Amino acid sequence: MFLPVFIFACVFNYLPMIGIRYAFTNYNGIKEPVFNGFENFQRMFSMVNFWKAFTNTIVISVVKLLLTTAFAVVVSLFLNEIVNLHFKKVVQTIIYLPHFMSWVVTASIFSLILAPTSHGLVNTFLVNVGILGEDQMIYFLGSTKWWRFAYYLINIWKETGWQTVIFMATLSGINTELYEAASIDGAGRWGKMRYITFPAVANTILTVIILNLAKVMNLFESAFVLQNDAVLDTANVLETYIYYQTFNSGSIPNYGYTTAIGLFKSIVGCVLVLVCNQWSKKVRDGRGIV
Amino acid sequence: MKKKFLSLLLVAAMAVMAVGCGSGSSTSSTDSSAGSSAGSNEQAAAPAESAAPAEEASDIEKPDSITIMVDGTVFTQENGQEQFIAKIEELTGISEIKVIQPDHDAYYDVLGQTIASGEWPDVLIASSTYYSAYAAEGVLWDMTDMWEGSDLQARQKAYNADGVVEGMKIDGRLYGMPAARGNGCMTYVKKAWLDAVGMDVPTNFDEYYEMLKAFTTQDPDGDGKNDTYGVSAAGFVGGEAPYINYLAEFYQDAYPSFYQKDDGTWTDGFTEDSMKAAMERLATAYSDGVIDPTTLTNGTSDCRNKFYADEFGVFTYWAGTWATNLKTNLDANGVDSELIALPPLAEVGKYLDRIPPVWCITTKCANPEGVYKYFIETMQDGGETQFAWTYGVEGTHWSTAAETLWEGAENETTYAEGEFHMLPNLEKPETAYTKAHIDPMLALTDLTAYPAGVTENPMDKAVAEEAKNSANVFAENCVSAVLVPSTDVLTQLNGDLTTLKNQLIADVTMGKLTVDEAYAKFESDGGADWSKQIVDSLNAQ
Repeated sequence: MFLPVFIFACVFNYLPMIGIRYAFTNYNGIKEPVFNGFENFQRMFSMVNFWKAFTNTIVISVVKLLLTTAFAVVVSLFLNEIVNLHFKKVVQTIIYLPHFMSWVVTASIFSLILAPTSHGLVNTFLVNVGILGEDQMIYFLGSTKWWRFAYYLINIWKETGWQTVIFMATLSGINTELYEAASIDGAGRWGKMRYITFPAVANTILTVIILNLAKVMNLFESAFVLQNDAVLDTANVLETYIYYQTFNSGSIPNYGYTTAIGLFKSIVGCVLVLVCNQWSKKVRDGRGIV
Repeated sequence: MKKKFLSLLLVAAMAVMAVGCGSGSSTSSTDSSAGSSAGSNEQAAAPAESAAPAEEASDIEKPDSITIMVDGTVFTQENGQEQFIAKIEELTGISEIKVIQPDHDAYYDVLGQTIASGEWPDVLIASSTYYSAYAAEGVLWDMTDMWEGSDLQARQKAYNADGVVEGMKIDGRLYGMPAARGNGCMTYVKKAWLDAVGMDVPTNFDEYYEMLKAFTTQDPDGDGKNDTYGVSAAGFVGGEAPYINYLAEFYQDAYPSFYQKDDGTWTDGFTEDSMKAAMERLATAYSDGVIDPTTLTNGTSDCRNKFYADEFGVFTYWAGTWATNLKTNLDANGVDSELIALPPLAEVGKYLDRIPPVWCITTKCANPEGVYKYFIETMQDGGETQFAWTYGVEGTHWSTAAETLWEGAENETTYAEGEFHMLPNLEKPETAYTKAHIDPMLALTDLTAYPAGVTENPMDKAVAEEAKNSANVFAENCVSAVLVPSTDVLTQLNGDLTTLKNQLIADVTMGKLTVDEAYAKFESDGGADWSKQIVDSLNAQ
């Protein structure tokens, strides 16, 4: 059984990595690639926009991960407290749904909801309750000050429900006798949640964070559909940076340069996986993630 | 032992795969087009051979078989491609035309892969970006000498369209033939709104701006609410050339990218005073509230929907057929649909005609002169072949038979015997075809000969009045956008530069930066340096 898997991995996983060589060339897809050593990397590291995109990728991904995980845990704990099974299932279904919505549709909906006009739900509400004046509407998706806040909010709305699945599975595995014993000992709902539920789910939280931390460099669609020219300083991430290099050049791009950026991203991702693996071994009794 | 065997097996497999991968880009010849293509990458990369002079055209051999690579602007298989190609074969006398047609959305990905593989078709369609890059890399055959002095050039000249072809020249040489104008955007004004605020059609920027202010503040839709804007657009600057077409009245003579001055030297329009003035105008309009505040995040469909919903009154959008689409959708929304196709303001001078896609012959084509004469040139022969490229095939795409279409439906239409009409779309039978590959309103040559049974140019009846009017106003008031040749430096730096320019235009318009601050940032972030390097590379060509 080992051989087919091994060959499959080599052919489909390792062989395509030959493409890495383009990172060390000038290559426009027409002429033969011309070896240029580390020129693409030198150029990449000298670009202000590259470093902005790199920093944005790390910050946006990590904050998004922590926020969505935290919200998923809180929502799971609340869901776990719902006694009426029918109502619980309805709530679960409703909060899962946004996960299946495409990012393009999500961006369109939130562009309308957050619009700085009388058609924007949020701004209209803020004006009606007197928080904002009519001429003070906030352009959430067009302001560097508000964009990330809006981005995190949209991600929480879209992904929290789906992330509760894993926490709900953990919660359903907690021995009910523990709760019964706690009740006998006089523990209330908060006490049971604090001393039984939360410790039980803590290990899962850590596992989820570690697993997702290894993927923080992979951020494209959500950032791309929500960003615009005015917020690139805070919203441009590495993958959208590659996209703009490719499609904004007004010519056939140098694939060597974009491959170099991709390779750098992969190396950082690989380092994160190894770090997370070590961390996982420490906190999960020697169990790594790879 | 097992491990050794496995290792050897894997090494062998990898070696075979590596050789396989390598061969794609270092192949020395190709037979992909059934013998019609030959040559090598080395030959291809060399400067393209000059074509035979036009006067020798009669000696040119007709190709037996050609391979063409086309996007979705040529009939797809589901839309009668087989009949269409058979008709073109019959009309041109080329025995076999093989069509490679990737999905329209993936066309340029597949084209790039095809060119990279070395297995080039004889003919391909290329957008301006690919055209200039492929020409610079020696992929495209130089057809200048075949075109100049030819009948085709004369026909295009007689139709006032040879300038479109001239505009496709790179360093004085022609590597691709447009089949039609690129078309462009022009400004539409809601007449009902203009009447409501009691204003005339604007002719200069001051009048235009007053109109926008009136549309924003005087409740032109009469709903008693202060909920309208003068103008909206999909972003403050376009994502592709000619960049300024959605807000042309504000940009006027400014151009945020590279263009060639009258003296032949290249410059970056972003670094000129005209661009600073344009950014000031945009900033004032945004701060006055006459531009839709969500312009930055609008997509084109958002703009269209808002226009149909009567949220704003001035929309700069495509000329021609789109005038009918806008009218139809306004009607469908119960909004007054009369639109004024605005001639360019005095300060704008001319609208910009987009650079059209072109038909190119690759340098691996064995008989480029033959392909040019019997395939490319016949596409605009003013006769039956051009008719086929414009309207398709009788019985499949059009007909003159007496019949009733969409019987029982809202759009039921009856045609008399001999009356030309387009037939229902094979994929979407509830709608009719409007054209084949060439948009009749954008053609570069006049259609003067028709197939049997057709007695006049169908465009006169087949195209709606508002579309014809819009196309005419545009055609009378447009100049071709500038084709920028590709250089290595441009390829390297223009991605970052364009991103920075777009960012600065947005920041100034929204009042985050003053024009002076924006240009200081342009300098400090490296934009000025990148711009200079690109301009130098263009001038050094």
